[in-house]
Amino acid sequence: MLPAFTSLGNAWLFALLVPLVVFYFLKLKRPRVAIPSLMLWRQVLNDQRVNSPFQRFKRNLLLLLQILILALLVLAAMQPFLRREAARAHRLPVLIDISASMGALDHAHGNTRLDEVKRSLRERIDGLLPDQELCLVAFGKTARRLTPFTNNHRELRDALDGLTVEDVPSDIEEALRLAQALGRTEPFDRVLLLSDGNLPTQANFELPFQIDFQKTAPGGSNFGIVAFSARRAPGGHWQVFVQLAGSANAESSTGTLELRQQDKVIAHEDLSLTRGSSPRLAFDLAGGPGAVLEARLRLNDFDSLTSDDSAWLTVPATRPLTVYVPDHLAGYRHALAALEDVNVFPQADTPTPAVFDLVISDHEEDMTKPARVRCAIGIIPPDVRSLVTVEGKSSQAIDWRRDSPLLQHVSLRDVVFMDQPVSTGVTTEDALAQLGYEILAQGEHGPLMLDKRTGETLSIALLFHTDRSTLPYRVGFPIFVSNLVQTALHESGLAEAEAGHTGVLSAEGFNPNASCSISGPANYRRTVQADEQGRLTGIPAPHAGDYTITAGGGLPQSVGASLLSLSETSLAAVDQLQFNDQLTVAAATAPAKSDRTLWWIIAFAAFLALLVEWWWFQRPARAV
Amino acid sequence: MTVPAPQLTALLSNRDLDRLARLRLKVSRRFTNRGRGEHLGVKGGTSTEFCDYRDYTAGDDVRFVDWNIFARIQRPYLKQFHQEEELHVALLVDASRSMLFEEKLALAQRLAAAFGVLGLRGGEKVSAYALGTAGPSPRLQPTRGRSAQGKLFTFLESIEGGGDTPVERGIEGFLRQHSGRGVAVVISDFLTDGDLRRSFNLLHNAGLEIYAVQLLGPSELAPEITGDLRFVDSETAANLDISAAGDLLSLYHEYRRAHEAQLTALCQQRSGKFLSISSAEPFERVVFDLLRRRGWIV
Repeated sequence: MLPAFTSLGNAWLFALLVPLVVFYFLKLKRPRVAIPSLMLWRQVLNDQRVNSPFQRFKRNLLLLLQILILALLVLAAMQPFLRREAARAHRLPVLIDISASMGALDHAHGNTRLDEVKRSLRERIDGLLPDQELCLVAFGKTARRLTPFTNNHRELRDALDGLTVEDVPSDIEEALRLAQALGRTEPFDRVLLLSDGNLPTQANFELPFQIDFQKTAPGGSNFGIVAFSARRAPGGHWQVFVQLAGSANAESSTGTLELRQQDKVIAHEDLSLTRGSSPRLAFDLAGGPGAVLEARLRLNDFDSLTSDDSAWLTVPATRPLTVYVPDHLAGYRHALAALEDVNVFPQADTPTPAVFDLVISDHEEDMTKPARVRCAIGIIPPDVRSLVTVEGKSSQAIDWRRDSPLLQHVSLRDVVFMDQPVSTGVTTEDALAQLGYEILAQGEHGPLMLDKRTGETLSIALLFHTDRSTLPYRVGFPIFVSNLVQTALHESGLAEAEAGHTGVLSAEGFNPNASCSISGPANYRRTVQADEQGRLTGIPAPHAGDYTITAGGGLPQSVGASLLSLSETSLAAVDQLQFNDQLTVAAATAPAKSDRTLWWIIAFAAFLALLVEWWWFQRPARAV
Repeated sequence: MTVPAPQLTALLSNRDLDRLARLRLKVSRRFTNRGRGEHLGVKGGTSTEFCDYRDYTAGDDVRFVDWNIFARIQRPYLKQFHQEEELHVALLVDASRSMLFEEKLALAQRLAAAFGVLGLRGGEKVSAYALGTAGPSPRLQPTRGRSAQGKLFTFLESIEGGGDTPVERGIEGFLRQHSGRGVAVVISDFLTDGDLRRSFNLLHNAGLEIYAVQLLGPSELAPEITGDLRFVDSETAANLDISAAGDLLSLYHEYRRAHEAQLTALCQQRSGKFLSISSAEPFERVVFDLLRRRGWIV
């Protein structure tokens, strides 16, 4: 394999050989030594052996060594390298997977996948040629550029050394989009993807460049928590659910799952896990004030990934649902009275709260009350009035969304509505969609029921008044009201709780624009400002753990972030990636051989030649 | 308290002179002069030591007829006696510029003084010549007797080197002035490009047994070379560029030994003797050890 040169232009430096030889002979000043007679020396120099080519070579060895040193230095300046890649990239973005699965160990006290990637990448950085630049991009759930395109080995190595695993699932599309954005300013035609292969097999992305997919060996046996949730049970209790899963290469193991609250084990269950098992565990938890629960999986055998062995769940405080229904909507109040844990306002001798979970009213002014769910009866939302008018004719429902939580088990067949919403044009449905409305029930000439989400508020609009319909007399009416309550419970977070995922942290309930300091696992420290609604959004939470948020001297609030990713826990590795344009990129398991630079070897050889020259010059002639 | 005797010469100590007084030159060839000397001639002579008889022939001196034998057998026989002939010891000291290196000339002067003392103490005729001097070659006319030691020492001490005449031309110049047979002690480094064979032939044909002493300095016997050098010949001022190389010195030694062997052969082929010594050798060791062991002196 012949070496190639990156700086072939420096070959002109070989011209320095001419002045070197000239100066050698011009400046060769031999010390004059007077000796008695030259007789013997003449005979010696006239000897054929002295004048043999080798002896001549030895007589001019110093010159030859100097020529050799100069030639080696010029060769080193020409930046030779051994081409070990089929195609060389002058500018190469490197996408490094730092998702949770990259933290998997190959064996106990072994290396993580990220360590392996770092090792191979360090070799590539060391072998980087002067005309090559790398741009390091780390990606988990999001992608970020670690370095610009650079040839600076120290900068690249520093960025690489500072890289840690994030307890998040991987999203390769984010990384590819970032790479695509990089390519707009600094074009390239290849991208190196370093991952353990724990990626979605299908990527919704059209590749504008070639991908070299280098896959590291998968981690070892792993079990972890993939789901952690709680559902409100009758009687104010919570049913807490924990689901476990294992990797494809998981070996049978035993252990314990602990449910902890404030570092106290409140429940536990012994486990016997086998390959392919995915047990779902349930715990009963008494209701009460809100609490942060931790599910911790303790295995007696090796477990390659620790980030999925714990999960945190914030269980809200148990309280009744607050519903506002005017007194004259007796049908609704009657249906609500049959439901547990529902407080209907206004009540006599009971102060009306300022905030409700559910507002049901046929007065337009009630729709301004703060609530998570508002249900307007017989009111056309102001922004829809140009699209729909109501005529005083009877009508019936033609179709309705049976899969909608509001209309589950509710039949509108044969229900007579004395209000007939009429669309003003043929494009009403499109116009409603543009306004964010979804049609839940369609009448003969227009929509009967709409819903729209505005921020955290869900608005439901019945374009007919239920009192002028046969709906209250149907069995579906209390079901509809119950669905409303369930929706409100869900929207208010009173019905169920899901463990928060790592990636982005969100919390609410702070004073508007309050300064909040956040501390969390892995020395996480951050200070952010709440928005005008007192919410914290978009806070990065790269590591699984319990985050504590303190706002202006108030009580600290705990928010858990958990991995809870079946794909990451399973450590499943794909062998190829499928892209939009039916392009398939196969993974290579053998580490890519980067071009090997030779300049330092040649420079070292020049240094050795210099030492030889010095030694040769200084050594006395051998005495016989 | 004993007062030390004054030194006769700076060349030889009194102790060395005493030791030399007990020694004689050992000459293998009888190239001697007709004059009476202490060396026995090959032919019968007039000494008192009986040698042999021979038949009387007409014209023989009747004084040597053994009359006792004639009276017994009535035939005349002549008694023959060993002839004690005079030996001419010619001292040739190379005083060219090359001999100025590393005390070669000083040792040559001392060796010449030693050979001269041996000759004078042995009753031989001794003459001395300085070869290759800057000006005309100085010469000590043939002299004999212990009383001539002073002249010999004065002559040898006065030799100043610095000439550039090669030794072979110096020998030829010597032979033009010299007469008499005996021994020619040639003390030189013999580093000459000239034809020494011719010079030695001339010495041999002149009836001189060649005693050649080669003096080489330590730097000539074991030179050390570092890097690139320009050698300058002390006599011809010729230059020669030398670069240090491992095999160069081995070749030098090879040629030096060949030159030495050639000189040895030239001397031996002419019934002479050859000795190569270092100028760093102690004088006493050379004279009283080396020369005696080699059979030059007894």
